[in-house]
Amino acid sequence: MKSISPEFANWALALGVGPINGDFELVEAGVAFAVFAFLPLCQLTSGHAVVDIFTAALPQKGKQFLAMIIDSVFAAVLILITVQLFGGTLSKYRFGETTFLLQFPVWWSYAASFAAALVASLVGVYVATMRLSQFVTGKTGLVGAEETEH
Amino acid sequence: MSDIAIGLLSFPALLALIFIRVPIGLAMFLVGLFGLYFVTGSFDVPLGRLKSETYSTFSSYSLSIVPIFLLMGHFATLGGMSTALFRAAEGFVGHKRGGVAVAAVGACAGFGAICGSSLATAATMGRVALPELRKYGYSGGFSTATLAAGGTLGILIPPSVVLVIYAILTEQNIAKLFLAAVVPGLLAALGYVLAIALYVRFYPGSAGTRPPIPMAQRLRQLFEVWPVLIVFGLVVGGIYLGWFTPTEGAAVGAASTGLIAWLNGGLTFATLKTSFEVTAKSTAMIFFIILGAAFYNGFLALTNVPQAFSGFVVENELSPWTVLIIILIFYLILGCVMDSLSMILLTIPIFFPVVSVLDFGLVDLVSMQHEAARAALAQTSDLVPEVRSQIEMLIASGSEISRELQREIGIRVTQGMADRIALEQTAIWFGILVLIVVEVGLITPPVGMNLFVINAMDRRTRLQDTYKAVLFFVGSDLIRVTILFLFPAISLFLIY
Repeated sequence: MKSISPEFANWALALGVGPINGDFELVEAGVAFAVFAFLPLCQLTSGHAVVDIFTAALPQKGKQFLAMIIDSVFAAVLILITVQLFGGTLSKYRFGETTFLLQFPVWWSYAASFAAALVASLVGVYVATMRLSQFVTGKTGLVGAEETEH
Repeated sequence: MSDIAIGLLSFPALLALIFIRVPIGLAMFLVGLFGLYFVTGSFDVPLGRLKSETYSTFSSYSLSIVPIFLLMGHFATLGGMSTALFRAAEGFVGHKRGGVAVAAVGACAGFGAICGSSLATAATMGRVALPELRKYGYSGGFSTATLAAGGTLGILIPPSVVLVIYAILTEQNIAKLFLAAVVPGLLAALGYVLAIALYVRFYPGSAGTRPPIPMAQRLRQLFEVWPVLIVFGLVVGGIYLGWFTPTEGAAVGAASTGLIAWLNGGLTFATLKTSFEVTAKSTAMIFFIILGAAFYNGFLALTNVPQAFSGFVVENELSPWTVLIIILIFYLILGCVMDSLSMILLTIPIFFPVVSVLDFGLVDLVSMQHEAARAALAQTSDLVPEVRSQIEMLIASGSEISRELQREIGIRVTQGMADRIALEQTAIWFGILVLIVVEVGLITPPVGMNLFVINAMDRRTRLQDTYKAVLFFVGSDLIRVTILFLFPAISLFLIY
């Protein structure tokens, strides 16, 4: 910026505009938390990318059976991720690791992500339970499979 | 069972899971988890990895660009820029036969310059252009196929979410990849225009005409697209010139696109909320696939399968071109059933090590030396005449310049330097080729996502009609891949 317009650069710097110390670290902590926090939303709206061409011909009951199994496994995986993330948080806490520039404890960001992952697990279990009841009762339409962009 | 066998068996297992509708990210995660169990003999390793791998995969500065580009695409959709682009193009070519379709492709290309996602481009331009196409008597299948194909320009023309992911996976420079995609992207638009011209020649009844509009009005409509130019210049130019990192550039782009959308009245509290919601959902989906891919590829690396592949290629002295053709055809086939991002995440860690050991003769050590020597000779005048004539002779005869002679004129071009540049060029060129073949997958029947999205917008058109018409565009794509494959310079000349 300095080479393009030195006056503008100096004016902006004088105003206090400048690189934020540790912006990388903040973004990294933030994006991890954000992704974990977005997971429940994706789970609840069946937003995950799937290939459904080969199962399209299955009867309704068969599709519901698959959905029940898959979402139960998904819930189990989310719980596993959450439990292990808790372990990760504990070990970061024990070692007292801090970030390079801002020197804030790494376990803070781990804990934030863990909290969000916990919500994702609960939502995962909820969705799996709903799929089970759908399979048993044969009813449809809790959450529609919506198109997601990618 | 040997590790390699486990690694190889994981492919069919993974595909089987994906084909019974297991979410792609989950499938990769599961196969990675159990694969690690089979390779190491216990769950200790995968569980130990999970303690930090989820967090460390998600907490990536370079990946934070993904949600920002997604948000930017939504803002661009809201900002009315799609309408402005279509009007501008339509004013100039709309009165010719097939002209409204050409305008739709042109507008898609313009929209692709501010939106990094194909589905968003197809959906946005579909809403704007589909009613117009039908109004002027364009047949249903032709209209939907045009827009589905035009939508693929969204990821071809930078910025591009898929290209960003590729850059991160292969540790390449995002700005260089963006720049390399510009000419192939424009070629794609040109190819689609030719496909349209051919289509209306074959089926003259499939497109109507309208009287031309006055030049003053055309220019007025053209002027309306200035925000697109500004945002594109700011984001892609800014990243390339090093004003900001790609992530910062994306943030600048999202903010400015949002501002324009707000000024145009498209961004309200309600639409802002929807934009955030959809972005959040897509982000979670993409990152979960990234996590699954990281886990799966971690397992695969442990089985030495990628090394075995590249070792196999080197040992058997397979022709690099044959290997590349096989890989590209593999993508074309897989693209018929799988989405582009999942394919890239799944396969690049396997294919890239193979491709990086191939020598396509993109860089030639001797000609690099000659180029440097010529520049050095032109600058120095106080050189010993003998040395000068000796070097000039070597250049004329096309032979290598020895290290001592190079030192005489103050240059140093080694094999290692040539190899490094060759690897970077191969990576960029391969990235562009892969980007195009996975993008073809978006419009190939039976599972072209773009075809579904656009077809769902026009209930009167049968999917079969779209399938039939889109073959013209698929053909245009295949010809373009072949051209880019035969002439790597088309992708590379802007950078080097």
